[in-house]
Amino acid sequence: MKAVIRGIGVVGGFGTGISTLEKILMDHGPFIESFAVPDGQPLGGEPYVPVDTRNLKERFPPRSLRRMDHLSRTALLAAALALEDAADPGGNADTGVAVASGYGAVRTTFAFLDTILEGGDAGASPTLFSNSVLNAPAAHISMHLGARGPNLTVSRFEMSFSDALSIAVQWLEEGRAPSVLVGGVDEWCPVLGHCRHRFSKTRDAAAFLSPFGTGRGRARIAEGAVFFLLSPEIAPASGYGVVESVESGRLPRDAPAFPKDAVILTGIDHHRDSARHPLPEDRRVLDYTGYYGTLPVGTGFDMAIASVIVRRGRLFSVPDSTGSETVIDGLQAEKAPEIRRVCCVNITPSGAYGLITLASRPDFSKNSRP
Amino acid sequence: MKAPAPVAVTGMGCICAAGEDVSTCVQTLFSKDPDPKPPSRFIARHPETHPVFELEASILTDLHSNEALSITAALGVAAARQALEDAGWDPEALSRVRTGVCMGTTVGCTMNDEAFYRTYRSGALPDLLPVRRFFSSNPAEAVARTFDLSGPCLTLSNACCSGADAIGTAMSWIRRGICDVAIAGGADELSRVTYNGFIALMITDTRPCRPFDRDRNGLNLGEGAAVMILEPDTSRRVRKRAPRAFVLGYGSAADGYHPTAPDPGGAGLRRAAGHAVSADGKTLSRIAFVAAHGTGTKDNDAVEARVLDALLPGIPFFSTKGHTGHTLGAAGAIQAVLAAACLNKGTIPGSAGFSTPDPQLPARPTRHPRTIHGDLALSGSLGFGGANAVLLLKRGGDSS
Amino acid sequence: MHTIPMDIQTKLKTIIVEELNFEDLTPAEIPDDIPLFGDGLGLDSLDAVELVVQIQKYFGVQIKNMEEGRTAFQSVNALAAFIAERLPE
Repeated sequence: MKAVIRGIGVVGGFGTGISTLEKILMDHGPFIESFAVPDGQPLGGEPYVPVDTRNLKERFPPRSLRRMDHLSRTALLAAALALEDAADPGGNADTGVAVASGYGAVRTTFAFLDTILEGGDAGASPTLFSNSVLNAPAAHISMHLGARGPNLTVSRFEMSFSDALSIAVQWLEEGRAPSVLVGGVDEWCPVLGHCRHRFSKTRDAAAFLSPFGTGRGRARIAEGAVFFLLSPEIAPASGYGVVESVESGRLPRDAPAFPKDAVILTGIDHHRDSARHPLPEDRRVLDYTGYYGTLPVGTGFDMAIASVIVRRGRLFSVPDSTGSETVIDGLQAEKAPEIRRVCCVNITPSGAYGLITLASRPDFSKNSRP
Repeated sequence: MKAPAPVAVTGMGCICAAGEDVSTCVQTLFSKDPDPKPPSRFIARHPETHPVFELEASILTDLHSNEALSITAALGVAAARQALEDAGWDPEALSRVRTGVCMGTTVGCTMNDEAFYRTYRSGALPDLLPVRRFFSSNPAEAVARTFDLSGPCLTLSNACCSGADAIGTAMSWIRRGICDVAIAGGADELSRVTYNGFIALMITDTRPCRPFDRDRNGLNLGEGAAVMILEPDTSRRVRKRAPRAFVLGYGSAADGYHPTAPDPGGAGLRRAAGHAVSADGKTLSRIAFVAAHGTGTKDNDAVEARVLDALLPGIPFFSTKGHTGHTLGAAGAIQAVLAAACLNKGTIPGSAGFSTPDPQLPARPTRHPRTIHGDLALSGSLGFGGANAVLLLKRGGDSS
Repeated sequence: MHTIPMDIQTKLKTIIVEELNFEDLTPAEIPDDIPLFGDGLGLDSLDAVELVVQIQKYFGVQIKNMEEGRTAFQSVNALAAFIAERLPE
């Protein structure tokens, strides 16, 4: 049984909504590097592109949002957008919620430590503490969208999103939930920026994991959230395709099994030419990170782009690491071979990998959705 | 519809203030008076002391020798090692099959090292070891790396339900053939940051906790880890191992009510219990007892007692937290392991900390040890954010 | 340590707006006698414990348990009176 992608919600430094992301793909830009970043941070640090969650107030009574922090707001907005994209009114009490986050609520965690450092142990803020727990975004989503089915939050750095997706697909296959809101959310804060800045000056790549990998080019640190509404295969088609499989493994013992007809999307500081990474030479490998930025749940954004690729039946130009556009020959819809499968893969320097394969529905007609 | 193939528990491990292995923990449940104390590993300044269930320093020194790994990750690895030994899996054989790892935690996924942050705030350059340690200490990754495993690898962070969710998720892996063996459980160390947070929420007791008692006044934090080794029952038979237990069902549901308080009607807990238990009366009548979440807070115990009375009136229940404290991400796993042990023992303990029934609650826990009748038990967890998780466990047999 | 504010009510209302994040209100818009919990301002148990921390921080007054706080938290007036009685010398 496959999981149908019924709707997608994205929030990033580039803006809000799958239509916004789609336009960027169609227009070959703008690239994330061109977006505004906050002014210099304490102790130096990498700048980042923040997200704007003000749209949330159009959808929910402002007072109901008052205790939600940045991470939870970002996640809720993306989840709400996924329901809207699916034309689903929400409120299905049995809908499951599976959330991935690489770092969790870092801003709130350090704000909580601030209250202790400034006010003493007895000055610790209970509200900040309650928001610093990793499952706070999932809790707020269930509260605001009425999704009261199974509810889990997973965290394994850049593997987080594919882990959450595997849980969502499992729930659907088991009949634990009739639909699942699955997504990933990550936020950036000056402390992370400081750490990345310090680590990127270290020569010893083995000393730290890939979240602080330097990448091929000027990877722009970003934050954001991406959510999908999934249903079992019997649900009506949206055009985004189905999740055919979610695999995880560990090199060198396992190796990702790429279907022969798949286009491969990858990002997050991936080093294609490293001997450790078994990306097939004869397959088209595309890196769209430059449109949404670098963040642990980036694989989720790749999956959103993969869904658009399936729906539109075409590939899009890729921003390369220097920020200039790379036009891919032969990508016009009428010339490109039919796109049947798109893979999203993420491989860490330690060899852990997650592989998501989307497939187009055989009965899908390109003209069935505007 | 055909019932799913049974998922056997072939090994269990448990490390917490109640003991450094399963049998010591079980002994503690039946014979010792709880003795939580003020934390000794850190200092926190509050008007009153809030006792905790800390691991003995000697136990920690034994299992946490590597500064580059967090105590939480080391606890998880140690519990996994115990459980694997109990299951008769030697590391070499294990690394040849597809082995899943599913671990729950709350502290283990949070970067909140105070010394690091204090230095950062002061304008000096902080030592990066705490950050390196954070990135090396994802609990499931730590287990997979230690035993050189390949297979699904998941770290769940679902507040106080994490450990139960991990076991339930791994049960599904085994049923669906995602892996041949699964290492599932939870781990959490006592953290000064978490300690201050819970006190700020005003849900910790300044005395040993009293789950379901009329005068209960909050929880005591604890620390520890517990792991179950899950595999298909067919594989267990081939390996000729006696089962420690079976995991028959798992339910997860969200209250969707409040960031910290449970839904007063226990809606999520009821749904989770419903999913864990099959609908027929036969299953319900075989339930010998319920291992309750029973933290000792006013709200949690009230909700749980009402739900238990509605779903399983007259079925005995008890909380283990009077002996272990609330171990957060490990709680659901520690509780499941102890519940399985009690099923095999045929006896359940009195609920530690309980003495005066609460007239506002429709049910009360066990006061003394008693013999049980039935081969099934429920183990329930409730967590911040309205999380609920329930496991249905079946007796394995007499412990060898 | 803690300076004793001239107008406890105003300080409390500022805390409610800023620390409990009522972005859509100004302190002046909060009536002195509106019920803080339930119908009224709609604070809940999490707000209550946050207020305890804020009251300790700004007034130096400790609320030991929520039974003690229950009558105090009826309204801004009630809370101000509770605090005034217990201000440190």
